[in-house]
Amino acid sequence: MEEFNLVIAGVGGQGILLAAEILGTAAVKEGLNVRVSEIHGMAQRGGAVVSNVRIGDKVAAPTVLDGRADAILGFEPLETLRNMRFASEKTLVLMSDEMIFPSGVAVGSTKYPSLDEVVRQVKGFTKNVVVVEAARMAVEAGSILTRNVVMIGALAAAGKVPVKIENVKKALHELVPAKYLEVNVKAFELGYKYAKEKQAKP
Amino acid sequence: MPDLRILLQDNPGKRVLLLGNEAVARGILEAGIGVVTTYPGTPASEIGDSISAIASEAGLYMEYSTNEIVAVEVAAGAANCGVRALTAMKHVGLNVAADAVMTLAYIGVKGGYVIVNADDPQCYSSQNEQDNRFYTLLSNLPCLEPSNAQEAKDMVTSAVEISEELELPVLLRTTTRVSHTRGPVTYGKLAKPRSKGKFVRDVKRMVMVPANARLMHEALLRKVEKAKEISEASPHNKVTHKGKSGGYGVISSSSAYNYAVEAVDFLGLDVSVLKLGMTHPFPEKIVGEFLRNHEKIVVVEELEPFLEMQVKAVAKDYAPNVKIYGKMNRLYFPRKGELSTRLVITGLAEITDKKLPINFRELDERYDETVKDLPPRPPVLCAGCPHRASFYVIKKVTGGKAIYSTDIGCYALGIAPPLSIGDLLICMGASVSTAQGISKVTGVDTVSVVGDSTFFHAAIPGLVNAVYNNHKITLVVLDNLTTAMTGQQPHPGTGVTGMRTPSRKVLIEKVAEGCGVKYVRVVDPFRTKEASAVLNEALQQPGPSVVVFRAPCALMIARERRRKGIRTVPCKITDECTSCMACVKLLGCPALVVRDEKVGVDEALCTACGLCVSVCPYNAIRCGEDVKGD
Repeated sequence: MEEFNLVIAGVGGQGILLAAEILGTAAVKEGLNVRVSEIHGMAQRGGAVVSNVRIGDKVAAPTVLDGRADAILGFEPLETLRNMRFASEKTLVLMSDEMIFPSGVAVGSTKYPSLDEVVRQVKGFTKNVVVVEAARMAVEAGSILTRNVVMIGALAAAGKVPVKIENVKKALHELVPAKYLEVNVKAFELGYKYAKEKQAKP
Repeated sequence: MPDLRILLQDNPGKRVLLLGNEAVARGILEAGIGVVTTYPGTPASEIGDSISAIASEAGLYMEYSTNEIVAVEVAAGAANCGVRALTAMKHVGLNVAADAVMTLAYIGVKGGYVIVNADDPQCYSSQNEQDNRFYTLLSNLPCLEPSNAQEAKDMVTSAVEISEELELPVLLRTTTRVSHTRGPVTYGKLAKPRSKGKFVRDVKRMVMVPANARLMHEALLRKVEKAKEISEASPHNKVTHKGKSGGYGVISSSSAYNYAVEAVDFLGLDVSVLKLGMTHPFPEKIVGEFLRNHEKIVVVEELEPFLEMQVKAVAKDYAPNVKIYGKMNRLYFPRKGELSTRLVITGLAEITDKKLPINFRELDERYDETVKDLPPRPPVLCAGCPHRASFYVIKKVTGGKAIYSTDIGCYALGIAPPLSIGDLLICMGASVSTAQGISKVTGVDTVSVVGDSTFFHAAIPGLVNAVYNNHKITLVVLDNLTTAMTGQQPHPGTGVTGMRTPSRKVLIEKVAEGCGVKYVRVVDPFRTKEASAVLNEALQQPGPSVVVFRAPCALMIARERRRKGIRTVPCKITDECTSCMACVKLLGCPALVVRDEKVGVDEALCTACGLCVSVCPYNAIRCGEDVKGD
């Protein structure tokens, strides 16, 4: 099979590790070989967090090689841009528009670029960029905490992950606590529909 | 996180996605281990946490010990009664445990005993990136190095078998990328744990007075000879890729092996790869044969040239003319930080004189140009973190003019502006004792900051020293009622054990009083006026003083609220706000955001701790139902 390399980037607390685990679990259900890299401990505390999901027979290393991501799932614009090292002109970038200001921006020591500026810079690496209103849809689904699942829905719609959608949903059922399942399923559907519509008329 | 009870399923052949550390936990169940001890530390924490979640159901005993040496000693006691045992810790934990480990190697064990040790190349969550494989040379203990989750599970059983055959503890050394990578794991059979054993007196073997220690050292060296045979025959040491030409041979282990095989594939090199899963004792004959069959050898390993050194020693006897590349004569691979597929590709391309298929330099230039002005995003104290209140109080009372020694935990993040508390940090417990040296020679006020779990782990001897030698220091214990950084494990002050049963709380203030400290106070740091008055008084004491700032971890409160279905009403900025930015500049709370030069509240982050209410000079912040503060 073709190898699939995914980079998920965002801010600690956005549900990045769970998103990666859902995709990894779906891959195992599909009978595929997979590696999911995570970062725990100090780095997680509101800092930049990156997780990689790699699927393929020959995959051994936990991390994606520079310039070799098939898709980048950006949970936050600045962190999406910070991970363009992994992009090539073939990479699909799905980027949430939810801006989270780093501490230096609040005290005025640094400036956060505008969303348009971030999109422009990301397009310098790949033209294949879709902005996803993940936070809005998560709230619509019932909780801001489901923004990660909205993004997974959007990724599933792009059809790049070598895993059947029913396996992604099965993984979701397994990993999300029962009382939050309904909102998460809704979040997935919203993200999926959104990306499909954007594909139809970009 | 999956329900950890999936680890308990008795269905050999089932394939599941597990984190390296969860795979070790499954290995514990398959190996029939009856006693598991640990002190939490990234990247090893989830081993103990997974076992804690299922221990009573699995029928084994698990404890969070006070620190790593205690953990090893408890397990060593059990293992010497014939029970299989395992201790998990991060790399620097082995420094703490080394005193016990070095001599336990002489005594040995009766039940299989495994010490899981997780190194942290790149210092993702550590104060150093020491290469603990050197402990195997120092202690003579055998060492296994898994490269992925499947091996992490399987090697627990191998380690127990080797340990029982040799009657010697075995190290299972992982790294961050093994411990914190998820991969498919195929289950083996579960074994019933035996958690009851029998102590058989054997003074010559077990009481290490000099006369006995000399004999047992000899016994250890005999075991090492036997261990060599095991290593030479180990299925974990094997040629995984056979080259055609016999030109280049690659030797690798652990996480580095993964990068090595992908780099070889990427460059399309015709090489053989020797994977070492048992790296101590070094399998001389296997390596020697491999050297004889190749003209050039590349050693790919993370951190120190531990394998390379031994490859060179073997080469002298087996293949003196073979060329060896790694990091000793020239740095083809870095000796610091973690490796990556890219670093190995680059090193291998240079050694083999291959052209790189990707122009990394061009990629770097474009990337560096894009990110050079991006605002950095370092980790920060969470919104609602009680440490923020404590640091605010410390800074206000001392005017930022004291010297602040700090310690290992979330509160190390206090060094970031605007709080900027933390002038010296070495290791667990060092805040208390380094402050004493500083105070002695400078006469400047010294405030040492230590967390609750760290206090129990290593600060108590330092505190006794302060009383005994009458050092004028103020010890501030940031008691957030949990081991926060590593994932909210219980500790002696919490009244809960690793078996999830209630226990007697050890109170920090009582311990301090018991150590002989005359001035000991407990105060909620969110009550900033009261906390400031107490700290001020503490600083006036002629000798050591202890202030316990006690308020629960914000993540714990959030979880509790979610469980009870309580909705947090975030703070509100009212029209009285003059945009003076005092709250933003004094606290650096991530829930306070500035847009268009106006302060706002990030409602998703705000926990309504109320700290900003107490610092606002214009009384322009309102806090909802959960108001704290003066």
